[in-house]
Amino acid sequence: MVSAVYIIIAALAAAFILGFLKEQWRGLAYVITLAALAFMSWVSAGWVWALGWQGAEAVDILTAGTEPPFAINLRMGLPEAVLTLLVNLTGLLSALYLKEVLFRLGRRSLVVLLIAIMALSGIILTRDIFNLFVFFELVVISTGGLILLSDDVQSNSRALSAGFKYLIASQIISVLLLVGIIFAYHATGTLNIDGMAGADLMALQGGVIAFFLMFIAIVAELKPFPANGWALDIYESAHPAFSAIFSAATGAAALYAVDKLLLIGGVSWLPVATAIGIVTFVVSNTLALSQSNDRRLLGYSSIAQIGLVFTVLGQRDILGDDYYYIAFGVLIAHAVGKAGLYWLSGLVAGRGLTDWSALRGHPLLIFAFLTFVFLLVGLPPFPGFYAKWELARYLAAEGRLALLALILFGALIEAGYLFRWFGYIIKRERPAQGVVSDPLKQVVIFAAVVAGWAMAFLWGELSGRANLLLALPLLFALAFLLLEWLPAWFKNIVAISGLVGYFAMTYTEYDPLRLIFIIIFTLGGALTLLASFHTSGKRIGFYPGAMLMYAGLVMLIRATDSFDFFAAWELLTIGSYFLILRGKHSEPHALSYAIFSLAGAFSILAGFALAADGAVHFTIQSLSEVATPLAPWVFILLAVGFMTKTAAIGLHIWLPGAHAEAETDVSPMVSGILLKAGLYGLMMLMLGMGIQELHGIKLNYVMLWIGALSALLGNLMAIFEEDAKRLLAYSSIGQMGYALFGLALMNHLGWLMALMFVINHYIYKSMLFMSVGGVAKRTGTRDMYRMGGLITLMPLSFIAVMIGIIAVSGVPPLSGFGGRWIFYNAIMSSEYRLPMLIIFLSVPVAFLYLFRLIHTIFLGQLKDEHRRIKEAPFWLILPQMIYVACLLVFALVPGIALRHVDRYLNDFFPNGGLGWDGLLITSQYGYWSPINIMIIIGVIFMLLFFWLLFVNRKAQKVKQFNIVFSAERPYRPETTHFAWNFFAPYRKALGFMVQPFVTLFWNTITDFLHAAANLVRRLYTGNGQTYAYHLLLFVVVVFFVRMGV
Amino acid sequence: MIAQLAMATGFALILIGFYGALTNRNILRMIVAFSVANTGVHLVLVAVGYMNGRTAPILDSAVSATEAVTRIIDPVPQALVLTAIVIGMGVTALMLAFAYKLYEKKRSLDIGKFTELRW
Amino acid sequence: MEFEWIKIPYSLLTLFIVVNYGLLMTAFIAKIAARVGRRHGIPIYQNYIDLIKNYGLRSSITHGVMFYLGPVFRLSGGVGLLLFVPSIYGSEMFSNLSFAGDLILALYFIFFGTLGMALGAAESGSPHSAIGITRGLSQVTAAELPMALAVFSVALQYETLSITEIVAAQQGSVLNWTLFTNPLAVVAAMMAFLGSMMRPPFDVVLAPQEIPIGPPTEYHSSYLALMQTNRVIFPVAKVVIYTNLFFGGATNWPIFFLKVFLIYMVSAFVGVAFPRFRVEQSIRWFLIWAMPLGILAILLV
Repeated sequence: MVSAVYIIIAALAAAFILGFLKEQWRGLAYVITLAALAFMSWVSAGWVWALGWQGAEAVDILTAGTEPPFAINLRMGLPEAVLTLLVNLTGLLSALYLKEVLFRLGRRSLVVLLIAIMALSGIILTRDIFNLFVFFELVVISTGGLILLSDDVQSNSRALSAGFKYLIASQIISVLLLVGIIFAYHATGTLNIDGMAGADLMALQGGVIAFFLMFIAIVAELKPFPANGWALDIYESAHPAFSAIFSAATGAAALYAVDKLLLIGGVSWLPVATAIGIVTFVVSNTLALSQSNDRRLLGYSSIAQIGLVFTVLGQRDILGDDYYYIAFGVLIAHAVGKAGLYWLSGLVAGRGLTDWSALRGHPLLIFAFLTFVFLLVGLPPFPGFYAKWELARYLAAEGRLALLALILFGALIEAGYLFRWFGYIIKRERPAQGVVSDPLKQVVIFAAVVAGWAMAFLWGELSGRANLLLALPLLFALAFLLLEWLPAWFKNIVAISGLVGYFAMTYTEYDPLRLIFIIIFTLGGALTLLASFHTSGKRIGFYPGAMLMYAGLVMLIRATDSFDFFAAWELLTIGSYFLILRGKHSEPHALSYAIFSLAGAFSILAGFALAADGAVHFTIQSLSEVATPLAPWVFILLAVGFMTKTAAIGLHIWLPGAHAEAETDVSPMVSGILLKAGLYGLMMLMLGMGIQELHGIKLNYVMLWIGALSALLGNLMAIFEEDAKRLLAYSSIGQMGYALFGLALMNHLGWLMALMFVINHYIYKSMLFMSVGGVAKRTGTRDMYRMGGLITLMPLSFIAVMIGIIAVSGVPPLSGFGGRWIFYNAIMSSEYRLPMLIIFLSVPVAFLYLFRLIHTIFLGQLKDEHRRIKEAPFWLILPQMIYVACLLVFALVPGIALRHVDRYLNDFFPNGGLGWDGLLITSQYGYWSPINIMIIIGVIFMLLFFWLLFVNRKAQKVKQFNIVFSAERPYRPETTHFAWNFFAPYRKALGFMVQPFVTLFWNTITDFLHAAANLVRRLYTGNGQTYAYHLLLFVVVVFFVRMGV
Repeated sequence: MIAQLAMATGFALILIGFYGALTNRNILRMIVAFSVANTGVHLVLVAVGYMNGRTAPILDSAVSATEAVTRIIDPVPQALVLTAIVIGMGVTALMLAFAYKLYEKKRSLDIGKFTELRW
Repeated sequence: MEFEWIKIPYSLLTLFIVVNYGLLMTAFIAKIAARVGRRHGIPIYQNYIDLIKNYGLRSSITHGVMFYLGPVFRLSGGVGLLLFVPSIYGSEMFSNLSFAGDLILALYFIFFGTLGMALGAAESGSPHSAIGITRGLSQVTAAELPMALAVFSVALQYETLSITEIVAAQQGSVLNWTLFTNPLAVVAAMMAFLGSMMRPPFDVVLAPQEIPIGPPTEYHSSYLALMQTNRVIFPVAKVVIYTNLFFGGATNWPIFFLKVFLIYMVSAFVGVAFPRFRVEQSIRWFLIWAMPLGILAILLV
């Protein structure tokens, strides 16, 4: 193994050699620099390999032949190896990126770059405190030089002022550091860090103050809030490649320096670290909300992420063996992601966030952007995800719940502004200037992408669990990224066969409950994908997103461990976010969906962490064993998370926009299939935990109310809608309320109803969305009052909708009635009366909007502009007809699915099952015979119908306007088709119930956050002197807080 | 005695330097103020190393290697302060270069004029 | 109960009896209402004449398939409702086709006819029918709520959903009737009953004086015949449900006729004495007055 000191030697040697070259030999100078950086990276990589895989021991390098404290020593252990590799690689890649600028400025700039990288490596390797100071000062000087490299003239002058502000701050820092060092030396007699740690500096006279000065000086290098104004200016004005170094490499080195210092300080200083870290994390992320300059936003995000790693450092005492796994997980994810984003920003010409829409049309760059964003937010399968999970586990076990909550809150805000940015990229208008085309820069960016995915794989391997990246469903979804160049119909065939094939491979492994869900997710998904054949082109981005969602759904059902469950949950959230974002006007709705879903996911994370109580592997089965004081809270956290997905009232505002604005074939997927994931989660939760009580209130009683209110308000809001898809979306809210109600009854029939409902709702909601989507496609509008009379031109769509609404309304003889029958029996055997009343009110209301749907679209008068439209495309009609057939079959033989489920539920709810004997289904209270009902009604109906047809066989069909009313002969469809404000009486009577209170509530929260962000960011006045004040104030405040506590 | 005096002077210089840096708006004055503060730090560094009744850490006819341990002051701070002085000089030079460039761009040395980057 | 082929002719017999009774009863009640309004009124056999005339007519125009479906749904709904409920308690012959389903079936099947009517009427092209339908639907849904609550209260009281058993529990004496054992439920149900009979004060749906055109006007000849037939069957079927649930059921035909007549008269009484509500007023009326009674009925059972 090459000794680590060669990292420093190589840089110095190269820098010296550059001094001897002629000014014109730019090419040679550049190559030498690259070679040196490459060599340094190779040395670090070699050590990583040796220490990580081959089990070598950490090595101390004595620089003067003598042991410390008489000489400086360097240490190369695994953390040092990884960090130096990070620093050196970032330096190498940035050097590649900076080729033009470095050539222009000549060898002096190359020297400065080399020294910067060398000094950062030195900070990491050294074990001597004064040596640390020297290397820090080297970083300051070389940063001062590198700041001046910028890619456009305008930034150049701003970079100057930024650099100067930085130098002011660094002067103060160096004064504090030096004073601290010398007094620490005086107290302990050594300058060696390990020596000082061993000498117990805290106990010596003056030791605390000395340590404080050293500590706070190095902490200031981490850019904590509020002493970081200078850092933001650097991030905004410097060349992006330098910002990448500044963020990734400098941040990493500074963090490790603090880590070393904390060895001296001991456990009592860890809370200070945590406090500074978490304040920085939360505040910086909040301030990022109000940013519109891309590099400044990345600067805030950078500062926040470093703050997060600092918080992890502060938790060192409880993290045990997983300390490095977690800290490096977050750090490396941040480094790769941030560096990558900065490198990407170099390709975009404009500096506004919306200017990044220039990336559209470069799918590879968008993929890179997404990789980096996922790394930062900590989404699976990237390292931050694993780190977050483990961190949550430890924090919950130690009871540090407030800290966990703050971390999750900060992460949510970060996800918010990053996804908002992604929305801009996908949806906003492209600026005039496109993306700078520079192959070298693109190579650098892709190197970062590859590194990110490699880290994802590595962290999976190291996690002690099944590697997420190797899960078959996820791999299948990712494979579609490679197939993007193929036409959509081909990818559709692959997708459908994948889903069906997966089901065929695994269907024997599931119990009846899971089997229902897996059938809906795989076979049902395949069926809805049939509708996707109606599109043309390549549909870039659709298939990876869709298959990611299905992968998540499938993995959700198969998960037995809470980690796998949670990973699957986040995967399906991500996939569905991409799908929803594709709608033309869905930018705000997709963001709303992403935020609510992630908040729900974090709630689930917290719930699982709390339940696990430190155990590494916590299965879902073990939910039943959670002890009493914790159990209701775990229940609440998990239930809230699941209810976010089913859009229970209060958490529902994302659904109408998301489902309505989604594309024609996406709405069935998200409304028919995705919502069931929430129900599945609730089922697992309630099977495991049963009825929980908190302060004497039964939690399932609360859920009954939530379900009932969702049902009522969802249905009420649906009847007032003019937009057909929004009506169906609100209807979904209402129907989910029913299902929730059924589950919350916690009896046999309630669950049977919920399950029956899962199947039925999937069928008819998908069918209705497809039908309405087909109509919207042909007529060009979604407003129902613009349609009308389409029954003659679109008969198949009409039949589908009619069967659908009869099924939903529960009118016999179709399948909805079975659900209603089970429902009434279920509530008869429960003792909860009041919420039931609300459900009663919602049942007839459902009938109203269903009727409105069919009347205003298909019946009534045909508008002039629609006279020539055709039936919906074949591929939209085909699945609808299949659904119609399913509904009819289910109406006749509901036992097909229900019987097995009924028997399976006996394990959990032994009483109250149904009796299945022959054609008759009996319950404790009543009876029902579906086939007989169908036959009787069918016979009567047919007799009358045919009689009427026969009797009027000579009647001729009359044209549309061959009528007279009010003594006029109408000729315009608009005056004869009554459709707008259809239920005016209801609005007058009950309109007060549908005021948008909930929307107002959530809007107030976001407005408050934005206002706070706008206010607090005024702190950064731009005046370097003020920043110096901030720094000193920060030092004083931390001092008093620490001493006082 | 002399050590305490030196240390007090050093701290006084540091405070004066900080005060000067925080209240002067002229960049050059700020740089000078920081220079003063740095000097103060160097004084403190040297003062810490002083031990009463001992002599300079130079091995020659006055002090031989064997008796050095009992007769010289701590040599380490002296080495440290040399390094610190050099670094201080480097940073000051860099700051002056920056000040020059800033003046070129804006024709002003007022720190309050360089606030294009903010919030 | 099981299905046997003999049930079909028996059910047809019930249907025949009820149709005739309905024709006569509705004419009789119309006559009473007319006399109250100091008019002579129609002859008792008027309905027969109307029906025979309409069944004999042929239509020469049609507005499309849905237009057919309206009356067909309507009449199927009425006939089905009648046959799903046992008419005469204790009689195997007249238990009709109630083996197919219980109370819930009856409750939901009421909507079958409404749905069909709603689908069919707008096809005629006149927007007034659509307006009538919106009003009708809004009102019916609000009116059905107290009914559902009352029915459920009764089901909870007797712990069964089978109509036959509910009637059985009320045998013995007049005081066993649900009217006396659960009066709140009965009052709520009767208020709902008023709402669904399309008589004042809830007749804005048809609004005979205001909108001279509406669903009944759009339909003619054989269509109208079917709807008129339904006009006599459906209310009787509904009243039969009421009788069975709240008023002790009927053990033989004379008692059947008497009870049905009396209950039907309640709506007629109220109808002749009151003016009309607007739709939002009737919605509020049901929600403020009838629904709380229903709620109390459930809570106190």
